[in-house]
Amino acid sequence: MSEKDKAITQLTFDEVLQILNLIEKLDYDFLQLEAGDFKLSIGKRGFHIDDDGGPQTGTVAPAASSRQQVRATTSAARTTVQQPRAETKAPAVKEGTVPIVAPMVGTFYTAPEPGAPPFIKAGDSVDANTTVGLIEVMKVFNAVSSKATGVILEICVQNGQFVEYGQTLFLVKPETN
Amino acid sequence: MSIARVLVANRGEIALRVIKACRELGIESVIAVSEADRESLPARTADRAVCIGPPRSSESYLKVEAIIAAALGTKSDAVHPGYGFLAEKPELAEACEKHGVKFIGPKPDSIRQMGNKLAARALVSEYRIPVVPGSPNVGSLKEGFALAESIGFPVLLKAAAGGGGRGIKIVTEASELQRAFEMATAEAKAAFGDATLYIERYLPNARHIEVQILGDQSGNVIHVGERDCSLQRRYQKVVEEALAYSIPEQVRKKIRTAAVTAAKNIRYENAGTIEFILDQESGKFYFLEMNTRIQVEHPVTEMITGVDLVQEQISIANGQRLSYKQSDIRFSGHAIECRITAESPRDGFRPSPGVITEWHPPEGEGIRVDSHCFEGYFVPPFYDSLLAKLITHGADRHEAMKRMGEALESFRVNGIATTIPFLGFLLHQQDYISGKVNTRWVERKLEQFVP
Repeated sequence: MSEKDKAITQLTFDEVLQILNLIEKLDYDFLQLEAGDFKLSIGKRGFHIDDDGGPQTGTVAPAASSRQQVRATTSAARTTVQQPRAETKAPAVKEGTVPIVAPMVGTFYTAPEPGAPPFIKAGDSVDANTTVGLIEVMKVFNAVSSKATGVILEICVQNGQFVEYGQTLFLVKPETN
Repeated sequence: MSIARVLVANRGEIALRVIKACRELGIESVIAVSEADRESLPARTADRAVCIGPPRSSESYLKVEAIIAAALGTKSDAVHPGYGFLAEKPELAEACEKHGVKFIGPKPDSIRQMGNKLAARALVSEYRIPVVPGSPNVGSLKEGFALAESIGFPVLLKAAAGGGGRGIKIVTEASELQRAFEMATAEAKAAFGDATLYIERYLPNARHIEVQILGDQSGNVIHVGERDCSLQRRYQKVVEEALAYSIPEQVRKKIRTAAVTAAKNIRYENAGTIEFILDQESGKFYFLEMNTRIQVEHPVTEMITGVDLVQEQISIANGQRLSYKQSDIRFSGHAIECRITAESPRDGFRPSPGVITEWHPPEGEGIRVDSHCFEGYFVPPFYDSLLAKLITHGADRHEAMKRMGEALESFRVNGIATTIPFLGFLLHQQDYISGKVNTRWVERKLEQFVP
């Protein structure tokens, strides 16, 4: 191995951490770095990294996928750095669906007020800005928007249920063009 | 209503410590974790773990609303804040009160009173407790010059809202004052949102001595002995011991009495620590600050008294009277604690997060290890670098030191750099062994350390 190659293929754990730290501070959800046959892919918030290093959004349980995953591959040395998977509290995400997850911890409400019809039902179409429910935190109600475009396949939580940060609330079948 | 379930609003070793105390009291524990800590040992050990937000503390561990939502959502009766994070933010204690959840700590007013160092100085002065000669708040640079001249250089420029060693500048002569004043003002404003500064005389040859206090809701206050925390690096404690060593008995007595007087007068409730500085030149001691929470170094006190301070905190919050009278507190032997952090002593103490590939803490008589680490654990880069507290107990200081030396020697950690070699170096110094140390000693020894 030449000195030149060494610079990138022998990326130390510390250096990977520095990159991790950087992406944590930035708004990007996915970073891919390629130099020769060295490949580094980092994803967060719902991005699963497949073996080709590309992000995939609908094939992994959200509780686990919302964690950071790092995979660094070189021809000389193969290092896999992956945090242990989170205990999956949400139902397994079905093939071809995307989850709508709780953006905060609190009490989830499906309707704007008791007795009122729910914001959405299974089969309803949603787009990124559709309000799908409310989360109450210390008497403050926060609207939860879909973030996904498609059709609601499954409602995973009940009205008045306590939800954790990152918990799956709905499964959406994404719109295909 | 008595406490049946506690929400632990912290992480790392202290979260585990609180969970264990709950278990021993037959109380359920729920831990609020960030995404980075979902798989942590405390998360696995608690009866339940609830994710409250992303890794960044400001979005999780420092978010009062998230903690309250987690406490209410899991029907917890009380919140234990640990140390750091929200432990000394009156906002959490207040929010708990408002939502009918017990806060395992003092009343919000006590936290607020002691949170402002300038106000705390003024308050304890009323009870005839000596404070380091110093100024009220410094309104302007011009005023600063006059005050510093009257106190006499060198002086310390301190942030009123600071604490725990943060927001402090040493000014050795008048020519340095302007720059220090400008920097300290900017730093205090950025770090604490309050630019108020004050000046204290700087004591170059001093020991840090602090008294552990317990107070209950009926106004009973006892001390559980004092600790010596003179070994510090950048105002952060490195090695702590109980009881304080090589100080006159008369001074020990007076410091304890001063601490109890202060706590009684402010009607302090729960566990707290009153910190003093002992000037070894004059033999005089002065009040420094009060920490209104459990301290990192509480185990050394537990080792020599058998008092479980965290269990006591919970029972106090539950409205019970103290389990001990002052005369019940007996001291047996000597205890030392070393803080082992994920920092690389050979690289200027650069933080060293990563995966722990080998973790073999020492075991044996008189050894206690408080830690959340294990083989395969990923030390996240987002939080404090404390990995473990290694505590040894012996019949006397000599035996405790001997056990500490051996324990450090046999502590095997791989995958990340730790401060273990540096701690071993400090413990072998003749000055340390003979007790000839002060709060500047570690910094001076730093230069001689060869990894």
